[in-house]
Amino acid sequence: MNFVPRSTALVTLNLVITFVVAAIGFGVGFGQGMGAQEVILYTIISAAVLFWILNYIAAIFESRLQPDKPTESAVGVGSVWRNNRVLIIAMALLLIVYLIVTGAYPPFRTIYNLIGVLVLEIILVFAFKVSNVFVHGRSAFIGLIVLLALIVISAFTINGFLSPANIRAVLLFAAFLGIACIGQTMVALMGGLDLSIPFLIGAANILLLYLIGLGVPPWFAFVAVIALGCGIGFLNGIMSYKLQGQALIITLGTGFTITGLVQIITSIGSAFAGNVFGKVPDWLANLAAMNGKFFGLAVPPTILLWIALSIIVVIALRYSAYGRYVYALGGNRRSAKLVGVSELKYWLLAYIISGGCAALTGALLLGWSGGGFIGVGDPYLFTTLAAVVIGGTSLAGGYGGYGFTVIGVLVLQVLSSFLIGIGLKYEWQQFIFGILILPMVALYSRQPSIRAQV
Amino acid sequence: MSETRSPQSTYLLIPILLMSILLGIGVIRGPAIVTLEGLGSAITVAAPLCLATYALMSVAIAGRGTVDLAVGPLLAFINVVIVSLNELDLVTSPLGVFVLALAIGITYQVLFALVIIIVRVQPIIVALSGFLALSGINRVIMQRPGGTAPEWMNSWGLGDTIFSPILLLLVLATGGWLLFTLSSFYKHLRMMGYDERAAFTSGVRGNLVRVGAHIISGIFVALAAICYTALIASGDPTQGTTMSLTAVTAVVLGGISLAGGRGNVLGALLGAINLFLIGYVLATFNFGSVQAFVTQMCYGLILIASLLLTLLVPLVGRHISFITPFSALMILGAVVVAIMLTVGISMPEGALPVATTGYDLLPATGTSDVVAFVLTPIQKVILVALAVFTLGTIMMRIVVVEASARRFGVFGHAMVAGMLVLGLAVVALYSLPSSGGLLK
Repeated sequence: MNFVPRSTALVTLNLVITFVVAAIGFGVGFGQGMGAQEVILYTIISAAVLFWILNYIAAIFESRLQPDKPTESAVGVGSVWRNNRVLIIAMALLLIVYLIVTGAYPPFRTIYNLIGVLVLEIILVFAFKVSNVFVHGRSAFIGLIVLLALIVISAFTINGFLSPANIRAVLLFAAFLGIACIGQTMVALMGGLDLSIPFLIGAANILLLYLIGLGVPPWFAFVAVIALGCGIGFLNGIMSYKLQGQALIITLGTGFTITGLVQIITSIGSAFAGNVFGKVPDWLANLAAMNGKFFGLAVPPTILLWIALSIIVVIALRYSAYGRYVYALGGNRRSAKLVGVSELKYWLLAYIISGGCAALTGALLLGWSGGGFIGVGDPYLFTTLAAVVIGGTSLAGGYGGYGFTVIGVLVLQVLSSFLIGIGLKYEWQQFIFGILILPMVALYSRQPSIRAQV
Repeated sequence: MSETRSPQSTYLLIPILLMSILLGIGVIRGPAIVTLEGLGSAITVAAPLCLATYALMSVAIAGRGTVDLAVGPLLAFINVVIVSLNELDLVTSPLGVFVLALAIGITYQVLFALVIIIVRVQPIIVALSGFLALSGINRVIMQRPGGTAPEWMNSWGLGDTIFSPILLLLVLATGGWLLFTLSSFYKHLRMMGYDERAAFTSGVRGNLVRVGAHIISGIFVALAAICYTALIASGDPTQGTTMSLTAVTAVVLGGISLAGGRGNVLGALLGAINLFLIGYVLATFNFGSVQAFVTQMCYGLILIASLLLTLLVPLVGRHISFITPFSALMILGAVVVAIMLTVGISMPEGALPVATTGYDLLPATGTSDVVAFVLTPIQKVILVALAVFTLGTIMMRIVVVEASARRFGVFGHAMVAGMLVLGLAVVALYSLPSSGGLLK
């Protein structure tokens, strides 16, 4: 796949659009009275991203549309209905729900809600019609559209949604979730599951504080905790290798064991069993705290760390031999083994990465909160899975990638920020997440019917 | 896969072994469990987990990796709805509560099945979706644990007798499933779980079978929720996750394959009982302030160990062919009963931690004033006849099963007989000198 369209006219057009948008952004930025340094930084970043996305999409359409002319199909009400019935039903349902809510609940009648519903309808059209053009990146495309729509709706509905502070908060939480998801993605690509992630996060969190409290040099404790996480991942991998169908339970068992063990260790000689006290070093707090600085820039280094890790993982999965073998094994164990790929090696590696990433998340969360708490990982039990699934990585293995998961993580975080913004409590958020996962996944990861498999 | 070669029930060996070890330790460490009250409360506490495990089992057998993670939140949902409606005085009668619970359970599970069939998303994703949605809505309906269960339930959860309605529900559910296994529907279900394509080509109507399996699962969840409501006598929206994880664990401990096709109600029951016993045994040790953590760790370790042991099953099945799970159950059961009787008889009354006013399974021997076990000769005859009849039936059943399996040699029979004799001998030895016999 090439990332730049062949015709120069298209590239020029993209460049012009980018410049116009960047100029608007530049003007708006100064209009809001932000600092010059920040405005320039954000303008350059957004221009670069926009230009890249435009070129990417243009290149895909160019190669798709050129070779074959679309054939004329039978025209008529019947065929329109037959080809689009799911879309029409979905749009009608949405409209009915909107009308009912509007009729029943007067405060709902605002222009923003109307815009929101219209945007949702457009998403549906996009998701059903346009996404067919993308064969492989379908889930990513739908995810991006949803993300964009969410940002637009939130920006209209919530005051200060696009303020630097809120963006920073969303990105910071996305970074924690994203780092924890690296491992889950790797394991899912091999067709496994890792439920020990939340337990490892909690265990790493209190163990790190305990070690620092003992007087171990903080940097060494940090590295040791991550190494221990990798070790636990190794144990997970080696124990579940022969029981790959039961990996769910094995990792759960390891999780219980490790949280129990760590809590026993930290409780020895302490009058307050289960509580760990200590002082988090400044560099660790700076690494993950909301007001962290990175060489003077007001960006918590964790976000940058996440971006760097994402780039490494995406490139490694796409271009390295390691990545290709992971896909090969996830897609078809037998043929990959016949080619001579060691299944054990890659299975173990996936779990080691997962353990290490979970421990890293736990350590970073310590810097964020400033106090150790074993339950800090609990919200990650199914959120990591949800992010992987929303992104479009198949839990059966062999399809997907970390880039998809990044989109899934962002969708989850922006949605959660939106829901908090409109005043919903955590319970409602959880409910809405649950309701939303299904239709999103249904759009791109349907299994073939049993009739088609025989 | 080497798994497929060994018979299904061989996987029961591990839960049986685990249970006899745990029960042995449990009875020695905390003899209170062999009293009427101890058993009664044990049944009350373990019943919701057992039924939730059944619910998971019936969909796990249907294949495609259907692990219904939402079983805990669904249970909590029914619990919370029952309690909320009771508070509002809307549904308070037993019939109403049962209908309500069954309706919610079945509706949810049918929706689950329809989504799998029509939308064709991986079941684990549907389960995940349901898990998040239900856990969220539970907290919306009820902010924190509270409320009161319907009044007629109060006596259910006391656990002061073995024969509580909860036991009845459990027995009905188990018996119902056993009856169901006789039907061809069950054969189709297992076939579909084992190999969906083969089942399809041989004419099994997969969609119908799947909906059926989910309806059964919904019934089990509803019963579990009722037992749970009776147990805690209030509403608790927070225990969903724990219940899900525990039930999934119990399913795996019971030797039920999450990949589908392999499952057994006895396994599910044993798995759930084992989990209860792990908690019970650990509670008899005193670890002070780190008790909860030790429990958690042992829980994880036992989970891993018993899973790793299933790797040995094909090996064991190949080399030790004279022993079947059923005979193992008999042998180990005889040992455990012997331990139970020994403990129940030899333990002086004061040493029983809980049962100061309760009764042992057998009459207390140390004290002479608590003799509530005087039988008339006719009663004795009837009792003995009943016991002989029951034992005879069980032995016949073993002989038939083992003969058709061509596995249970002389050795096995001899061993069971020997164990039974040994157990009785031990009992007699302990009971004779103090009060002269079992039945006065």
